Amino acid sequence: MALTRREFLKTSIAASTAATVGMPLSKAAEAAVKQAEAGWQWDKSVCRFCGTGCGIMVATEGGRIVATKGDPDAPVNRGLNCVKGYFNGKILYGKDRLTQPLLRMTNGKFDKKGKFQPISWEQAMDILEEKIRWALKEKGPNGISIFGSGQYTIHEGYAAAKLMKAGFRSNNLDPNARHCMASAVAAFMQTFGIDEPQGNYDDIEHTDTAVLWGANMAEMHPILWSRITNRRLTHKNMKVVNLSTYGNMSSDIADIEIIFAPSGDLAIQNFIAREIIRRNAVDWDFVNKHTVFATGPYDIGYGFRPANVEKFASAAEMETFKNEKVRVLDKYEAIGQRRKPGEVVEQKNAATPGKDWAISFEDFKAALEPYTLDYTAEVAKGDPDEPMEQFKAKLQALADLYCEKGRKIVSYWTMGFNQHQRGTWVNEQCYMNHLLTGRQSKPGNGAFSLTGQPSACGTAREVGTFAHRLPADMVVDNKKHRDIAEKIWKLPTNTINPKIGSHYVKIMRDLEDGQILFSWTQVNNPWQNTANANHWIKAAREMNNFIVVSDAYPGVSAKVADLILPAAMINEKWGAYGNAERRTQVWRQQVMPPGQARPDLWMMLELSKRFKIKEVWGEQPMPGLKAEGFPDNKLPSVLDEAVKMGYSPDSTLYEVLFATPENKKVKWPDPVAKGHPNITADLLKDGWFPEKALFEEYRKFGSGKAHDLAPFDVYHHDKVRGLRWPVVEKDGKWVETPWRNNEQYDPYVKKGAGFEFYGNNGKTLVMGNLDAPGDGSKKVDISGKAKIYFRPYASPVEKPDANWDLWLCTGRVLEHWHSGTMTRRVPELHRAVPAAVCWMHPKDAEARGLKRNDLVWVESRRGKVKVRIETGGRNRVPRGLVYVPWFDEGVLINKVTLDSTCPISKETDYKKCAVKVYKA
Amino acid sequence: MNLSGILVVAKPEWLDTVIAELKALPGLEVHQTEPDTGRIVVVQEAPDIRAEMAALRAIKALPHVVLAEMVYHYIAEDEQVFDELPPELQAQEGEACAIPSYLQD
Repeated sequence: MALTRREFLKTSIAASTAATVGMPLSKAAEAAVKQAEAGWQWDKSVCRFCGTGCGIMVATEGGRIVATKGDPDAPVNRGLNCVKGYFNGKILYGKDRLTQPLLRMTNGKFDKKGKFQPISWEQAMDILEEKIRWALKEKGPNGISIFGSGQYTIHEGYAAAKLMKAGFRSNNLDPNARHCMASAVAAFMQTFGIDEPQGNYDDIEHTDTAVLWGANMAEMHPILWSRITNRRLTHKNMKVVNLSTYGNMSSDIADIEIIFAPSGDLAIQNFIAREIIRRNAVDWDFVNKHTVFATGPYDIGYGFRPANVEKFASAAEMETFKNEKVRVLDKYEAIGQRRKPGEVVEQKNAATPGKDWAISFEDFKAALEPYTLDYTAEVAKGDPDEPMEQFKAKLQALADLYCEKGRKIVSYWTMGFNQHQRGTWVNEQCYMNHLLTGRQSKPGNGAFSLTGQPSACGTAREVGTFAHRLPADMVVDNKKHRDIAEKIWKLPTNTINPKIGSHYVKIMRDLEDGQILFSWTQVNNPWQNTANANHWIKAAREMNNFIVVSDAYPGVSAKVADLILPAAMINEKWGAYGNAERRTQVWRQQVMPPGQARPDLWMMLELSKRFKIKEVWGEQPMPGLKAEGFPDNKLPSVLDEAVKMGYSPDSTLYEVLFATPENKKVKWPDPVAKGHPNITADLLKDGWFPEKALFEEYRKFGSGKAHDLAPFDVYHHDKVRGLRWPVVEKDGKWVETPWRNNEQYDPYVKKGAGFEFYGNNGKTLVMGNLDAPGDGSKKVDISGKAKIYFRPYASPVEKPDANWDLWLCTGRVLEHWHSGTMTRRVPELHRAVPAAVCWMHPKDAEARGLKRNDLVWVESRRGKVKVRIETGGRNRVPRGLVYVPWFDEGVLINKVTLDSTCPISKETDYKKCAVKVYKA
Repeated sequence: MNLSGILVVAKPEWLDTVIAELKALPGLEVHQTEPDTGRIVVVQEAPDIRAEMAALRAIKALPHVVLAEMVYHYIAEDEQVFDELPPELQAQEGEACAIPSYLQD
């Protein structure tokens, strides 16, 4: 009667599942689990994929991961997993893992046109060093760059920021998060003066309404979606609204589905605000105490290349690019901006798009006046086959929800808002409606920006791996902030470069210009993920530069590289991520990376040993530098002061930045490891614990500044499943902050204030009118207040016409994550969705003589790709719009997309450009 | 072969109906139930992820099912599937993972 192995496994899996979700087990079931899992070591970890930040339990045996399960104690996912999370163990074991450094060579020497050949790490470090020296010599600190990542661990991002900003004095470090949520960041900073959401995921169980703005949560954030679904089915009053440019899986349980035309969201938000005021639904007590009305310029361009555009762009491309200088207003933007159709508007504020000033409520109200139901419906209706009256009724129903007294509302958005030519504006409009009705920073009420990457918040934003940022929301072009960073980092004054570096898209443009000669890619895939990719692929392969790509698997970027460095993946190294609700979570190393693959952190630390401060801290050329206290076009030498501080000119960056006397006191091995290995510490061989030491050093930036983190060991405690910052010590305990800016939950809010948007403390705004800031004679103190911005409707810069007659929208699918570098190695996921398809309305297909599965070209002014047509399935696109996901390197859709960015946030709009589709 | 543990939550008053419907689905075994909360633990066996995902969708589509998500995934038994890669990513025989030929294109 012996059970077969399979039957036995099933019994054990059932019992383990039950235990995970907290169902009581029989003795026999417990015994089955024990027997099946004998010899396994379970430890807590975090999901590698999206920004939700689910807890995952990982089992290892004999140096391999053998099983994963949802972490029952993780408050985010409560034991559940989505299909990607489910495969966290498998992504390590794809057949084509990179396991040794590869360099393009001919006859044993580096040759840009050569073939990849394996080299040792020593040789890899030699060529890295040589090429960085060459780029620094030719161009100074501006000649080098790193494409960083929202998938960096906190330690990796921190080391990259310190190496670049404090070591090489270059701010050309920018993460792929620029493509992902830079617009959210810019709007947080402009509105609240501090980054990241006030609320958290628990809002779902408190709310009456979830409004999705360009966020297909059912596919992209399935675990949060399961919580929303649960709320929808168990709370009578719960309503779900899905606003999107095409019908998707999130519409399945939605009470209202609104299909809007690209950029129609700008008009819809203003319509809601107008209704809130018209119907007297403003929470005046909240508005008067905690907000100030504001606006900014409209003539801000479209984030195209500001210089040399004619040199690189084709005539077809110029048709769109010329809008960067001059825009002819169309009918709808003329109405929405109180101008005349056909008016020619010079884009005077293209270089100063973030300027803002205070306005009166009367001006604010007047600005909203054009956004009537008739106007909004005409601008925003996205499905040509939907009757106008039906669309209007839906807009009314949406406004009804916002105007209903006592109804709680949470708004969610991701790329639909953020990847938007007016991404910062549309984020700010969302806060506008929440602030007007007092629905922010309260359980169940808030505008909540979701993130797509596991540490977009924890690393890219909080550590500050952006070209303008330092840790804890500080920026490089602020003297006070540089002083603070230089003090914590023990650097001579003026070491940090005050000039904002090149953002992600600009790094690509700088490579094309020959301004950047050395570029290192870490934990992301720039040549697949950047719009208008033909330009950048050509620049990487044909210009005289050196491209380094660290990755676990060879993707498109590895193919265009000169040097490929094999990287360790999650669970092959120690790490920490921060999710979208400010929750910092950690994991221990579980297994060893394969072959010669090594952690990114080790690569940077090892490289830093090869540079002495006398080579990088002397006077450096810095074109365009005119900041206060700096000589023109130069970064001053800080070597004399360094010597006064006790450094030797021969000290290496490793000694000065990383293995400092203080950090070396943090010893490896450490009991917190509980016997787990640490490959970084082992390779460095000098007895310190880099991940712990760097985390403790990093904490200094946020402590006392409303960005407080707990000590490293607290996060590693068996019972802790991440903590939401600010984490403040109280009576010997580290206490997290579930809702910020709310006195009841946030220790930083002044007693008696109720709410306080303290990010704006000490700041003022000039009072002006709708069209211009005033003369500066009247200033408004905005301490403790959030800004309610008026932002107008603006049409997309490129719209379908007779020749390019369809909208193209790009995005993701459930089964794959980002560029597919990891998920396409999981055969099950690959088989589920092997290739990208082009979703098209059946009537659009018919009109072009196409049918399902036909191979077609999707072509824009910039490039074309071949792809198969899908006329059914999970995405229901309206006539006039096609949707192509971007995970598939065989369908490199970013050759087709437009590199227009939000001028304020510099985040690319991947959601709208004009294409034509024809049979291949 | 895939083995996974799935949590299904049914409205408690419909528990028996849901269990009967679950048992009628191919490859599914109902292992444990909790009448008070409507929670059901099922184990699913499926030849590949497509079948598995389709089955999960089928569970979600059953009347009176509030939630169905995967919890547990067993890896060790199906190592053979690691041999399959997207065609353009497949290295040539004997190349292992050192320098896939497509890198040289």
